Amino acid sequence: MFEIRPGDEGGLRLVGRLDASEAEGAMDVLLKVDHPLVADCSELDYISSAGLGVIMETYKRLHARGFGLRLVNVSPHIRNIFRYVGLDRVIEIDQASPPHPNP
Amino acid sequence: MSERRFGRTFGSLESIFGFVAEFLEANGLPASAAYELDLVIEELFTNMVKYHPQGAPEIEIGLTRLGPDVVAVLRDFDVEPFDPTRAPQVDTARPLGERPTGGLGLHLVRRIARDLRYDYRDRSSTITVALRLEP
Repeated sequence: MFEIRPGDEGGLRLVGRLDASEAEGAMDVLLKVDHPLVADCSELDYISSAGLGVIMETYKRLHARGFGLRLVNVSPHIRNIFRYVGLDRVIEIDQASPPHPNP
Repeated sequence: MSERRFGRTFGSLESIFGFVAEFLEANGLPASAAYELDLVIEELFTNMVKYHPQGAPEIEIGLTRLGPDVVAVLRDFDVEPFDPTRAPQVDTARPLGERPTGGLGLHLVRRIARDLRYDYRDRSSTITVALRLEP
């Protein structure tokens, strides 16, 4: 199950599991974005190569129009997947903040 | 080995992930192990779906524990050979604009798996992949 929901300040929230069965629907939504995009990944639980393909194509399309794509609140295991394919050197990825220590 | 057959469609992924979760729980393995196992199986399964649409209606997936490893075996029946161990490498250092979108799945599999083997006989492909679980 995967959804793209409205986020803060015109951004989007990627929620759930972006696998091959969800990639086409995700691409349909992201193709409508025509501005710099901040995508909150704090609720993104899983991404496979099909999901990476959606992010890559979105980055390329926005970049060609002079817009940026930034992924924020990315969990360490999702970031690892981007790192394994070298996308962390291309797309701006902000890691999830560590949990606040107990007072 | 736990074995189950799944329809040759991306729509089977949810059932496959459920099968993996059942296997991990039944073997007392942490749910955190599911991420890489789900990923490797998804990439291999969806390749079979994409590249062998004329194959048998179902693809078999088996899971077993072998010492510190989990071993997944995917069997695709009535298909032409496709050896994932010989697929071209992806140059992840190339600029994004020069890279094709495809090929990342098998790159991830090779990056994550401890061992990847392929066998083809009687028009059936068998991919055996081993993952070392984190302690």
